[in-house]
Amino acid sequence: MFLEARDLTKRFSGLVAVSHVSFSIDQGEIVGIIGPNGSGKTTLLNLMAGLLPPTAGLVVWKGRAIQRLRPDVIAAQGVVKTFQNPQVFAELSVFQNVQVASHLALKRRLGSWRGLEVLGAARPAERRLRERVSEVLTLCDLTPATNQLAGSLSYGEEKMLGIAMALMCEPELLLLDEPASGLGREEVRNLERVLDKVHAAGTTLCLVDHKIGFLRGLADRVIALNHGEKIAEGGPEQVLNEPAVIEAYLGRGHA
Amino acid sequence: MGQALLWGALYALPLFVRSDFLLTIFTFTFIYGILAVTFDVIFGFTGQLSMFHPAVFGVSAYTTHLLVTLAGLPFWAATLPSAAAAVMLSVVVGSICFKFRLKTFYFAVVTLAFAEMIRLIVLNWNSVTNGTLGLVVAGKPTIYWPGHGVVPIKGPVAWYYVTLVCLSITVLLCARALRSWMGRAFAAIRLNEDLARTLGINVFRYKLLSFAVGNALASFAGGLYGYYTGYIDPGYLSINQSMEVLAMVLLGGQGTLTGPIVGSLVLTGLPHAIDLRAEVRSILYGGILIFTILVMPRGIVGTLGAWRARRVP
Repeated sequence: MFLEARDLTKRFSGLVAVSHVSFSIDQGEIVGIIGPNGSGKTTLLNLMAGLLPPTAGLVVWKGRAIQRLRPDVIAAQGVVKTFQNPQVFAELSVFQNVQVASHLALKRRLGSWRGLEVLGAARPAERRLRERVSEVLTLCDLTPATNQLAGSLSYGEEKMLGIAMALMCEPELLLLDEPASGLGREEVRNLERVLDKVHAAGTTLCLVDHKIGFLRGLADRVIALNHGEKIAEGGPEQVLNEPAVIEAYLGRGHA
Repeated sequence: MGQALLWGALYALPLFVRSDFLLTIFTFTFIYGILAVTFDVIFGFTGQLSMFHPAVFGVSAYTTHLLVTLAGLPFWAATLPSAAAAVMLSVVVGSICFKFRLKTFYFAVVTLAFAEMIRLIVLNWNSVTNGTLGLVVAGKPTIYWPGHGVVPIKGPVAWYYVTLVCLSITVLLCARALRSWMGRAFAAIRLNEDLARTLGINVFRYKLLSFAVGNALASFAGGLYGYYTGYIDPGYLSINQSMEVLAMVLLGGQGTLTGPIVGSLVLTGLPHAIDLRAEVRSILYGGILIFTILVMPRGIVGTLGAWRARRVP
């Protein structure tokens, strides 16, 4: 088992955002998490990425509990998350944004020898990473915007840049928080293409999204949440036809 | 290209300018330049408004002098333990501030409090620091000069070059660090700490690194300043120093390496050029700060850079 959530609970004062949720993600899977607004999807991803500490429960990554680790340590171990509202370094160019994200990759390649790079040595490693940055930009269709400031990108491009930066961290498990929200039809198709390639290259994906059609085409397995609780889990069609899920989305009477 | 010309001009200046007055102003500019550039590493590049610079400046001035007089170390050898002391202080103060995730004004106020604490220790530790009276620095640092052997640094031209070389080395080191992954991590922290964290950057460690590197390099300015002026007192550690360095960086252009030096030149040169009393100088600094923030928030170098970028499509 790649990642496992055991009895995860998150309370914000009186509000229970995630309540006793357990599930697992296997290597190479694409897992979708659905649920209406406020059902705890983003909180669940934040718990997995270390951005929030759980009130109770465990997140186990490759056999080790990681729920108390810092987000940068979790990222270094291969679990990387993108944000629902695109987060970029607005004052830097698109290339520089992805270059900043090469931090972990450089660390993996050079270790403590990175110090040499400061002194002007170890240039080849840096050069190879720059090539990798270009490859990632090509993969994400961002090459035309390479030298543009990230702050001047369109919403869709910003979201794609967020994914490019996450990819530059070389994740084994990529957590995507509503990657398709706010995107046009063409942009969603493009996103699907990119995610297919990323998955084909060996990255496990876990997506949270509202667009049920988007997840239906992509996910191997879907987990449905409502009021912080897991209400269904299984193949996309099976989960989307569950009465509890239909009720959560459309209200009582439609189920 | 432009920068190389500027540095070339600085190195050639004493060949054409014989005025001791001007060379002295430039020497002060270079020492303050070291202070301003290193402050900008912490403030302009990493986004941490540190008020700890005067503490490092003052402490290193005292430790360098005491190591020379009490331990008999040569000046240059004494600067290294002083830098180590600066690193130690930075690690203690930085760890506390960054562990508690202090940012912006909270960070500024707490670093200011630490700086003030150290100033009071220096002020009251009479047996070592001689209190308010300060210490007279009689010796001169020495350098090896081909053909003459080891000679003391004497006269405006010698001091001009020694301080210019020190500034050049500081700028070179900072430039290299900032152009590497280290500089990218600093920028990430300045621009979006949460995003930096999710990209695997250890925010605490890199903030501390920036703080320690900036302060360690600033410590050389303290040692030089004490020996150049021949006098050290607790005023080195005062909050005014913080304001002056901040004014230099804001005026010259934060987030650049040339900006702080330009700011240092203007703010060191101006008061001497128009011969101002200390109180009037404070008014001038305040006025320049207000003017810069309102009219050119990017400072001289930043504004020029933006203007050039607009002209070249």
